[in-house]
Amino acid sequence: MADRFAPGARVRTRAVDPAHHTRLPRYARGQCGVVVEREGRHPLPDARAQSLPDAPVETVYAVRFTAADLWGRGNHSVVLDLWESYLEEAT
Amino acid sequence: MARINDVGGMQGFAPIDTSDDGEPFHADWEARVFGLNSTLVRQGVYNLDEFRDAIEQLPPRLYLRSSYYERWYHAICALLLRKGVVSAGELDG
Amino acid sequence: MSGDHSDAEISRRVRTLETLLEERGLVDGRVLDEALDAYLKRATPANGKKLVARAWLDEGFRTRLLADGNAAIAELGMSMGGGLQDQRLRVVANDEKTHNVIVCTLCSCYPIALLGPSPSWYKSEAYRSRVVRDPRGVLAEFGTDLDPGVEVTVWDSSAETRYLVVPRRPESTAGFSEEQLVDVVTRNGLIGTALV
Repeated sequence: MADRFAPGARVRTRAVDPAHHTRLPRYARGQCGVVVEREGRHPLPDARAQSLPDAPVETVYAVRFTAADLWGRGNHSVVLDLWESYLEEAT
Repeated sequence: MARINDVGGMQGFAPIDTSDDGEPFHADWEARVFGLNSTLVRQGVYNLDEFRDAIEQLPPRLYLRSSYYERWYHAICALLLRKGVVSAGELDG
Repeated sequence: MSGDHSDAEISRRVRTLETLLEERGLVDGRVLDEALDAYLKRATPANGKKLVARAWLDEGFRTRLLADGNAAIAELGMSMGGGLQDQRLRVVANDEKTHNVIVCTLCSCYPIALLGPSPSWYKSEAYRSRVVRDPRGVLAEFGTDLDPGVEVTVWDSSAETRYLVVPRRPESTAGFSEEQLVDVVTRNGLIGTALV
């Protein structure tokens, strides 16, 4: 399966609020960032945490967000490791 | 809403206690909890994501007043109860 | 932990739990002892310090370490295995313009294989909550002041990658041997809350 995003792509995290375990922190939901690199393919923790059989395996991406976007202030950036289904193309 | 573990960006926690003695564990029971969890994951009793999920589902008041490895203990017990490996009465005994 | 009484109580409860698991054949106390000892011997900050000292001395190794951490540490007989999952290692280097700092805001992910179990502050809500929002303020609490022109990147370890920081080599270490350099590196430097 082809990776959906290439390094340099602008992506937006989904504005979700799942009732189950997830590895997309609240502070980075519904935010735009830039893909730094691909980290390989790993089982989706959201599914594994629910003991679901055959958890989907997805590409994980390092995505850089600016402090200005996340917090409205600051000049640092934050990189998060995010499963593909947490992301969509930023338009 | 996000779970109690999801603290990135939250304000109001105390200043950081930056002291560090370099010791991996501060009591024997902490090392036992660490080892028990590794064993149970390796044995396939539960997986690491289920373990993280169990920590996140601790009642927020219990989560915040517990030390790091106390949380692990409570999460291990919750998983063992859910999987039917032990009963509540046995754990309290 | 909060005092001797609660410590005795949790200690008793953990013993009860271990006994129950032994009865069910899931745990063997002696095997657990040996596994813990072996693991703690293998997983120590000495690994991370050695990697940094080598990277400071050997430009080729530094390049390989930054390009593919897992392959490079194998050259020194180290691996990210031995824990519960084999992990990807991503090494990030500080320079005049950039400073890197590591956190896990959701739990406590940490390169245990290279640094041993993490310090208490790394697992605290205080550190996890603030470092993504105000890294300079957090570093100041560690007594680490950055030049205002330096760009800070915070790496929030939210998946299967573990991060390690290569600090800048202090100019005062010119001519040091690898062993001397190892002693200069601190655990906090490898996490990014200290400069070295």
